[in-house]
Amino acid sequence: MGNMTSPNEQTTTLHILNKAPEHPRFEACMNALCPEDILVLSENAVLALADQNPTIPENSLALAPDLAARGLGTDFEEQAISYQDLVRLTEEHPRIISW
Amino acid sequence: MPTSLTYTLVITGAPWTSQAPQTALAFARELVSAGHRIDRVFLYGDGIHLASALSTPPSDEHHWPQEWSEFLAENGIPAVACIASALRRGLVDEAEQARYELTGSNLRPPFEIAGLGEWVEGTMKSDQVIYFHGSV
Amino acid sequence: MSTLIVVDQAPYGSWAGREALDMTLSLAAFDQPAALLFTGAGVNWLRKHQAPEEIGQKSVEKNLAAAPIFGVEEILADATACQRYGLTEDNMIAGASMVADTSATLNSHQQVVFAG
Repeated sequence: MGNMTSPNEQTTTLHILNKAPEHPRFEACMNALCPEDILVLSENAVLALADQNPTIPENSLALAPDLAARGLGTDFEEQAISYQDLVRLTEEHPRIISW
Repeated sequence: MPTSLTYTLVITGAPWTSQAPQTALAFARELVSAGHRIDRVFLYGDGIHLASALSTPPSDEHHWPQEWSEFLAENGIPAVACIASALRRGLVDEAEQARYELTGSNLRPPFEIAGLGEWVEGTMKSDQVIYFHGSV
Repeated sequence: MSTLIVVDQAPYGSWAGREALDMTLSLAAFDQPAALLFTGAGVNWLRKHQAPEEIGQKSVEKNLAAAPIFGVEEILADATACQRYGLTEDNMIAGASMVADTSATLNSHQQVVFAG
């Protein structure tokens, strides 16, 4: 948040997205991603990994419990992260957008 | 982990209708484990339903309002339901019950009812502000 | 440290836009730099001559028009969405500016917030 960086500093952004690919805000998030940003998919958004025509960046991450809930628990282990990992990401990114 | 950070958590999704309270609680537990401090939890919009004392899920399901209130109490974390969001949705404390001469009150401690100023203060003071919205 | 509040939900069918406006006005009341960005169906909040009396709601048109007086720095609208919904300077409330590149707008504010 602003208390961690000065206003005009160029910083990468952590995006936390919880909406399925059909939701309008999903596309809005995709359009807002900058090359160095990190995208974490949570809740319904983890379904984007199962999308046969994905629009998400290759380095996207997804919350493991949400993948498991939706029957995707074993398919995307490389991209799966824990809530603990998400905390670590929020430590490392002063700028976070919760979509 | 180098430093302890402060967080404000905002929940705008209602329990069961959305995953917001569940995701937020799992995240909040890890924040505390990692040594960070949660300055406050702010319920806005439909998120205020998390502070209901009357919510009664089946006994074999997670009781999100109860689990949240226990977590808040155990860790001494202030929590506020936005008054404008709360009143119109039928979440009231004893003061509002008296003010509007209502038949009851239903605010679950340790949640308190207060204004958006609490959220603004969180944005000003906390290192990070994370929002947990509904997903539909 | 400036905050951009984004409204992407249509007016009157849900409360989300009002809650976003409340957040924006609260920031301004605390002298915090705040701007509003309307995108998607949300641009329709900026249409002139809103008359929601028959659906039992109050118009936000006056609140939005007054927002700059209360300290809200900018009221912005995504140009593509405006085009889709036939919104032009003539039928939009005064004080709203169109932006062609909302990504740039997002990146120019330290905080980007949705009300719900």
